[in-house]
Amino acid sequence: MANLMKTAQTKAKAAAVRRLPPRWGGWLLAVPPMLFTLLFFLAPLVLLMIYSFGKIDILTFEIKFGWNLGNWAALGNGVYLSGLIRSLVLTLVSTVLCAVIGFPTALAISRASGRIQTVLLLAIIVPYWISFVVRNYAWLTLLGPRGLVTRLLTAVHLTGPGQDLRYTTGAILVGMVSSYLPLMILPIFVAMERIDPAVLDAAADLGLTALATVRRVILPLSMPGFIAGILLVGIPATGEYTIPSILGGGKTLMVGNIIHDQFLGVGDIPVGSAIATALMGLMLVLLLATRRRVRQLEDVL
Amino acid sequence: MSSVRKRHSFSTAVLAAVLVLFYAPILVVAVNALNQDDTLNSWGGGTLRWFRQILADGRVRGDFGTSALIAAATTILSVAIALTTVLAARRLPHGGRTAFNMITYARLMLPEVVTAVGLFLLFRRFGIEMGLVPVIIGHTLFCSAYATVVVQARYAAVSGRFSEAAADLGAGPWRTFRRVTLPLLAPALVVAGLLSFTFSFDDVVSSVFLSGSSVETLPMLMMGMIRQRVTPEVNAIAVAVMTITFVVVALVVAATNVRAAGGVRSSRDGATDDE
Repeated sequence: MANLMKTAQTKAKAAAVRRLPPRWGGWLLAVPPMLFTLLFFLAPLVLLMIYSFGKIDILTFEIKFGWNLGNWAALGNGVYLSGLIRSLVLTLVSTVLCAVIGFPTALAISRASGRIQTVLLLAIIVPYWISFVVRNYAWLTLLGPRGLVTRLLTAVHLTGPGQDLRYTTGAILVGMVSSYLPLMILPIFVAMERIDPAVLDAAADLGLTALATVRRVILPLSMPGFIAGILLVGIPATGEYTIPSILGGGKTLMVGNIIHDQFLGVGDIPVGSAIATALMGLMLVLLLATRRRVRQLEDVL
Repeated sequence: MSSVRKRHSFSTAVLAAVLVLFYAPILVVAVNALNQDDTLNSWGGGTLRWFRQILADGRVRGDFGTSALIAAATTILSVAIALTTVLAARRLPHGGRTAFNMITYARLMLPEVVTAVGLFLLFRRFGIEMGLVPVIIGHTLFCSAYATVVVQARYAAVSGRFSEAAADLGAGPWRTFRRVTLPLLAPALVVAGLLSFTFSFDDVVSSVFLSGSSVETLPMLMMGMIRQRVTPEVNAIAVAVMTITFVVVALVVAATNVRAAGGVRSSRDGATDDE
């Protein structure tokens, strides 16, 4: 009886321990991160939206608030619109290239065994940790008039001798693909790893060739990885600032550079706010469109 | 059988090409950092001159210190936010937990330019001078989100069973946390911290918007140097920065495993999730 009492007591105590935190502990712990995100994440975004309807006084540089749609109308302006479109096209092309290159790469890694697979994974992960500036700067050397890539392309008569491949849209594309590729390869690899080996055995038993297995079994089952990869590559790429600054030489402007110039250059902060708000809206649409798939991100990040 | 081999050789060839794409540029930078020929047009023999030059350069040293200071502060703040977020989320009702998750992912999913200009407007509006503190806040904003995801994954895998066992054995909530939860979370906290440190150390966008005129980080200095000319000094700085990264990755791998370094969770880890 005493024993039973004791068990009951322990159980009650355990239950109390488990129930106590939800009452106040959770809210207490939640205060610092909540304050931080309210103050430095949500408030700035609201401010950004408010500023996008503001107007800058040309003489005093003071910003007046109101319901000016002028900044939003300016988005239709040639410079801004072409920058926005260029960003979207470059993002689209580099995301597709990443997916096309990333799938066979992930496949090759998933087929490697044991120690080799570990080494290969590490080889893909290390660049992802290396500084963006360093990685893209590295391409400058290779794409210069006397760079290795230029010399190779000249040797096969794709370019004239001494041609400068830097500061072109192509250079930006090379930088974007090589910078973001690990973020496509890793989620696809994770998705492939989740495929039940029994499914592959079944495919083989049913007489599917290796190629057909890849196309009809592995590819569809890797879709969650593709979607995570597309979000991980596409979203930061759209707002990219560093890569076009280095490899575009300021000539090929993307939306990130335009926002930079509006805020820190001689530009117009309300117009910059409108562009940034538009970018934010675009991302929200993309996220909502894929919201059911976003859960996958929790698994690969 | 031949098609199997063909398919294998195709994907292996792509993998090899990808590795060349990743490492050839880095290798060229490393070689050029040792190149005596300062026009970098050809190999002029080996030298450590450029490293000596950057070590003697006060601006490089100063910016290195600034970047390290910002990264250290960002790391502490990010890990603290990640830990409180994860511990709080588990104790909140379902709605609160979902809200927390959404805010974490929103911070990851918005392009950094957007959050950086938002902060720029906030500080400008309230007359706070740009500089160290705004940059640290800007970095913490996205680093803490990465840190949260890393810690959350580990917490989901280890919470429940062990803390329940501790509670059954009569440990109070604080004791359970100190003696059970925290040690189990330690590897994830290390990874989250190292990730925050590297991402902060390498950041350009938030630093550019929030540093004002008085503060300059190492990546900002490099961006400026690159814009003028490709110089051997830049290569030497790049090699120094990469060396730090390699050390960090090695630490992460030592603390956990390769998958954690890439944020890759294997299916086996996933299976132990209690949600």
